[in-house]
Amino acid sequence: MRTILRGISTGMLALLTLAAGSALRAQEQKPAKMKASAIKVEMIHADEIKLPADFQVALYENLIQQLQKKGGFQHVYRQGDRNAENAPDLVVLQGTLRGFKKGSEELRQVTTVAGETSITIHCVFSDKNGKSLLERDVKGNVRFFGANLRATYDFAKKTAQIAHDNFSPTAGI
Amino acid sequence: MVVGLKSVLTAVASALALAAFCAFVPSSLAQQPSGAVKVQVITGLTGVKDKTSGNLSVEGGSLHFSHEQTKVDVAAASMEDVVTGADSQRVIHGTLGSTALLAAPYGSGRFLSLFRTKLETLTIKYHDSDGGLHGAVFTMPVGKVEEIKKELLAQGAHTSIPPEQAASAAPAAKEQKQ
Repeated sequence: MRTILRGISTGMLALLTLAAGSALRAQEQKPAKMKASAIKVEMIHADEIKLPADFQVALYENLIQQLQKKGGFQHVYRQGDRNAENAPDLVVLQGTLRGFKKGSEELRQVTTVAGETSITIHCVFSDKNGKSLLERDVKGNVRFFGANLRATYDFAKKTAQIAHDNFSPTAGI
Repeated sequence: MVVGLKSVLTAVASALALAAFCAFVPSSLAQQPSGAVKVQVITGLTGVKDKTSGNLSVEGGSLHFSHEQTKVDVAAASMEDVVTGADSQRVIHGTLGSTALLAAPYGSGRFLSLFRTKLETLTIKYHDSDGGLHGAVFTMPVGKVEEIKKELLAQGAHTSIPPEQAASAAPAAKEQKQ
């Protein structure tokens, strides 16, 4: 009985050590955040692929909403805002459409497996002078519930999370 | 067995009756000021929550949206683009629609998703006093959107798709479908 108990406790100890080790490693691997107190969001560009105007506007507005909510920036500026010129540590977010598939809400609800709407956007975070700081492809989609425009909300949430993970007003202090 | 079949038939009939009720009641009960169109803000209008319903009109060189105490005006001259489009939504939409979709027996919720109402969308891009670019998307019943667009253009708004071009593009799209 004692041997069994000792075996279990040794096993648990080993598991704990492993978990703590992997958590430490994950912390070490996390890139250091870049300093940015404000972000300016540009309208999504769609040069080669045709994007409906309502999707373009919904992407832009949802992105601003999500960055305000959880981006961690002190100010979120819109494209063309004159106040952004004087903002210190400004990051500019530009998105270029890489893929767009307008699905069907009706098809999604009737079949469950078909009719997905998806949008892929190449996001570039750059500094005031245009030097690229971070580039990512972000995909937004809606598979079951919700209208087609919900894909823009999904994209905005993911992009705001990337911004939150990589930029901070207090980084490097 | 007969009782079970009866209850299923009753449930389906009730759901269909509810669908028909929802399809016809809103248009008959909708009270709106003359010249105003009942719309829903999908996203983007400053000071208005997403998915808020209200009345939209074009008066005195501005696009005017009102919902209870909330009133928002956007100057037509500040609009750099006005675009119209088409969409559709379930007759029973929102939380009730989602619940019906999941809870109705024998997949009849999915069947209800086939009942849809056609909508038109109005998308505008405009600048605020600081030069910041805003966008807003509205949905409204069929047949109203082109009228609003024409009024906005007459009062100084700009568009990337002129009304004549939009009108010629619509039949072409229909022909492509056939």
